[in-house]
Amino acid sequence: MNTVSQEGLLDWAGPILQGALTTLEIAVLAYAIGLVLGLIGASARLSPWAPLRGLATAYSTAVRAVPELLLIILLYYAGSQALTALIHAMGLPGQVAINGFVTAVGVLAFVQGAYMTEVLRGAILAIPKGQLEAADAFGFSTWSRFHRIVIPAMLPNALPGMSNLWLILIKDTALISVIGFSELFFTIQQAAASTRAHFLFYAAAGAIYLLMTLTSTALFARLERYVRRGQPAQEEA
Amino acid sequence: MTSSLHATPSASSTLAVEARHLVKRYGDLEVLRDVSLEVPEGSVTSIIGASGSGKSTLLRCLNLLERPNLGELAIADEAIRFDRTPQGDVVGLDRRQLQRLRAKVSMVFQQFNLWPHFTVLGNVTEAPMRVKGLSRRRANALAEHYLERVGMADKRDSYPAYLSGGQQQRVAIARALAMEPRLLLFDEPTSALDPERVSEVLSVIRGLADEGRTMVLVTHEMAFARDVSDQVVFLDRGVVGVAGTPQDVFEDSEHERCRHFVAPAVC
Repeated sequence: MNTVSQEGLLDWAGPILQGALTTLEIAVLAYAIGLVLGLIGASARLSPWAPLRGLATAYSTAVRAVPELLLIILLYYAGSQALTALIHAMGLPGQVAINGFVTAVGVLAFVQGAYMTEVLRGAILAIPKGQLEAADAFGFSTWSRFHRIVIPAMLPNALPGMSNLWLILIKDTALISVIGFSELFFTIQQAAASTRAHFLFYAAAGAIYLLMTLTSTALFARLERYVRRGQPAQEEA
Repeated sequence: MTSSLHATPSASSTLAVEARHLVKRYGDLEVLRDVSLEVPEGSVTSIIGASGSGKSTLLRCLNLLERPNLGELAIADEAIRFDRTPQGDVVGLDRRQLQRLRAKVSMVFQQFNLWPHFTVLGNVTEAPMRVKGLSRRRANALAEHYLERVGMADKRDSYPAYLSGGQQQRVAIARALAMEPRLLLFDEPTSALDPERVSEVLSVIRGLADEGRTMVLVTHEMAFARDVSDQVVFLDRGVVGVAGTPQDVFEDSEHERCRHFVAPAVC
């Protein structure tokens, strides 16, 4: 008769918020590391040194070509297996389990880095050559030129793409649920299964993802206004 | 022995630039063919010539934005020799010497090339702080001084995109001056300006010439070149056609193409 479960949304609010927080932590960390990887990757792709260029091209091409779900599973299971084998080879007993959080951040950052490499490469190529030439002509060191001129000059070009990647990343964190790590999506699945209130919980999950992405879209818009502070209104462009 | 990279104290102290037998090729195209140039300290040299004569390339060799294939350069006490290794690569420069040289030679570009993400003040203080290691306070004082000098002090907080071409170029001149360089290079500084903005920039450059700054200009402003220069170099297809005083080049030259080239300005 009364099929409504004893447990409701309120009982699960704590774990769900915890899961949402974990999701954000994973996303922020993966994004930050991905950004660094992307900067290195883009610099390498634009390097005059061919082997470095080749390596970066291989990275961004291969990673973007393989499903992220596959990479997550590969790193989690195959990674544990490989490490265990390594330990046994060294004559030590036991099993190595890779931490779910580390896997999540690691894989997502690795994938982000590949996409970021391409976004940043395009943005750097779009910098008017004269601005870089001016830095060269004044004797800037490689590092000064990079962080004082190249980065601020490419950011207006890069931010729309970067904002896009961030949104995709937030949603991709849901893939981590396949290794049983309790981020937002995994927690929601548990809640839905346990209460049988599928619609309620998945709708709540949708709302939370929406809240995260809308908030960050607004933040990115502000950031973009800041990095474009030297540029007159874009409407005419 | 294919190169000598050391700064030589023997480089003449009365010459700001001593270029010997510079050759610059792009593939098979020889843009500079054995060009030599001397610029005494405190003098103004104008390089003129038709487009494609190599005048911008020559100027850009002086701060090594272009690297000559062959030849010798002594600029602001940095001596550099360009040569080829048996493998065919150009040698004759290390990174530290390159940065040292560029810190002593400032360039003003045709397209201004201000950094759009810095304010006017930021554009002028950036190189003194990053390259010469000045404190923000000292760099600001220096920037204020030179912005005042080019009449742009009231725009210190504007971004370059909100300025006219003439104003941007004056800021670019202040940016170059703030490095307190031994040598100022101007690469067609008025060619990208609206006609009514040319004079404001030329009058700033004229003022610098009157101060006795060492300058090398590439310009199409013949009357101006004739007026402010101590030395005029007419480049012709990658070689020096005529070099001498403005009188030598604009009036007394026997060089056929030079006479033809300067004729509109002489009349």
